[in-house]
Amino acid sequence: MQRGRVDVRTDLEEVFRSHYARVVAVAARVLGSRDSAEDVAQEVFLSFGRSSVPADEAGGWLTVAATHTALNLLRSGRRRSAREEAADDAPTVVPDVAELVITREERNSVRAALARLPHRQAAALVLRHSGLSYAEVAAALDLSPGSVGTTVRRAESVLLKELNRHASPE
Amino acid sequence: MRHPSEGVLRRLVDEPAGVTDDDRAHVASCPTCLRALETTRAEARLVDAALATSGSVDTDAAWNRFATTAATAPTRPRAVTAAPRGRWLPAMRRPVVAALSAVVLVTGAGVAAANDWLPIFRTEQVDPIEVTSSELVELPDLSAYGDLEITSEADPQPVADAAAAQERTGLAVPEVSELPEGVTGDPAYQAAGVLSATFTFSAEKAARAAAAAGDVLPPTPAGLDGSQLRLHAGPGVAAVWSQPTGVPTLVVARVGAPTVDSSGVPFETVRDYLLSLPGLPAGLAEQLRDLSADGGTLPLPIPADMVTSSTAAVDGTEATVLTSRDGLFAGVVWVKNGVMTGVAGTLSADELLSVARDLR
Repeated sequence: MQRGRVDVRTDLEEVFRSHYARVVAVAARVLGSRDSAEDVAQEVFLSFGRSSVPADEAGGWLTVAATHTALNLLRSGRRRSAREEAADDAPTVVPDVAELVITREERNSVRAALARLPHRQAAALVLRHSGLSYAEVAAALDLSPGSVGTTVRRAESVLLKELNRHASPE
Repeated sequence: MRHPSEGVLRRLVDEPAGVTDDDRAHVASCPTCLRALETTRAEARLVDAALATSGSVDTDAAWNRFATTAATAPTRPRAVTAAPRGRWLPAMRRPVVAALSAVVLVTGAGVAAANDWLPIFRTEQVDPIEVTSSELVELPDLSAYGDLEITSEADPQPVADAAAAQERTGLAVPEVSELPEGVTGDPAYQAAGVLSATFTFSAEKAARAAAAAGDVLPPTPAGLDGSQLRLHAGPGVAAVWSQPTGVPTLVVARVGAPTVDSSGVPFETVRDYLLSLPGLPAGLAEQLRDLSADGGTLPLPIPADMVTSSTAAVDGTEATVLTSRDGLFAGVVWVKNGVMTGVAGTLSADELLSVARDLR
């Protein structure tokens, strides 16, 4: 076994720079906080640095690892405190969909619901909303490809209840 | 044709090409499905908005921070987030259940007791999946075969330090002389009292359980009906080292080994009879087989598909070494003088053995 300092992969910086923003975004979807998400990203890249995951599979690997790690953190309740996250206070406005303004309160209750979901269901939701294909989500979570849609949809239904409203088709 | 499922509609929102031609054609011509599709689409977008966060990252600053950390970071623990395919999750769960909970979890105690005990080693941070799942609960549940009464709750609680743990339990927390690479910081301490339960065998209940399994109860040996087993485990103490994200990297635990004694009929008679019952869950059977009157054996249900086990000498006695087949997790457990000691974590078996051998 290796001892002492980490053997840094020669491709690490390149992988880091090309994927960092995306990994933070994945973790932030779970945690609702950029700062906590950056902590998770650091940890995930440390693990990646010690792994032998091929660079061309790094994107999927990092996304999955960030999702699991962030969900762990969310459940452990060790996220940064609300005060530390105050900088994130602005409501999220989805570009081009002006009516979709999500309040801070709603975002918090959605995270609480996410923490209560079965891990695999929560992970499927986050991975899908992070852009993984249905086949990739299925492979990452040992789901059958046919059940990914149902799993994601059910998770969305639970979160929507927390939003206390339902979107209506336009 | 039938309306496609909600899962198919959901996929249609994201990946129309992943849906069969028949389903697509149906939805296109079915007003009900079209409405459902639009609702699904709108709700997916709303959830997406709720999950979105604003702000940008400074990749240069992040790389500088990372490069500094990586240069000083130990090589361990490597694997806590190394989940390229997610398959380590179930693999982690079982050894956690087998090694950690078996370090303390009581054979023969009921569901409530298991739930009370488990928080010590819930390690849901190791395994984000539900560690307290029903499979664990079924292992020790003898309530289908009689009355199970918890006579003393373990009441596990976090305590401030090793001294407080010792004061509460009378057990000294084993002291690790040298932490393995990658395990840093101060541990969190847990302490639990003695968990006791009384199991009263009931031929009537056992007959019902057998009938539910579609079978008849074998003849009950004389004196068995109404005979009692008393089960004890604990007290227990544990020190848990975790990563900043809450993932435990090392757990060192010591606990009074589970013991069982009987009134009336010898324990072995009760056990062998229980083992002969139709429909007895396999996990429960294994625990019963491993249970002994003197607390001298380990009630370790080892899931052979997930974990390899071997033995090694620790502290002048034979220890069981468990390693998950993916190599991410290992545990070392041994019993000496009725006290079980366990060391487990996201480390290699060699590292854990060296921790185990150097415990003070």
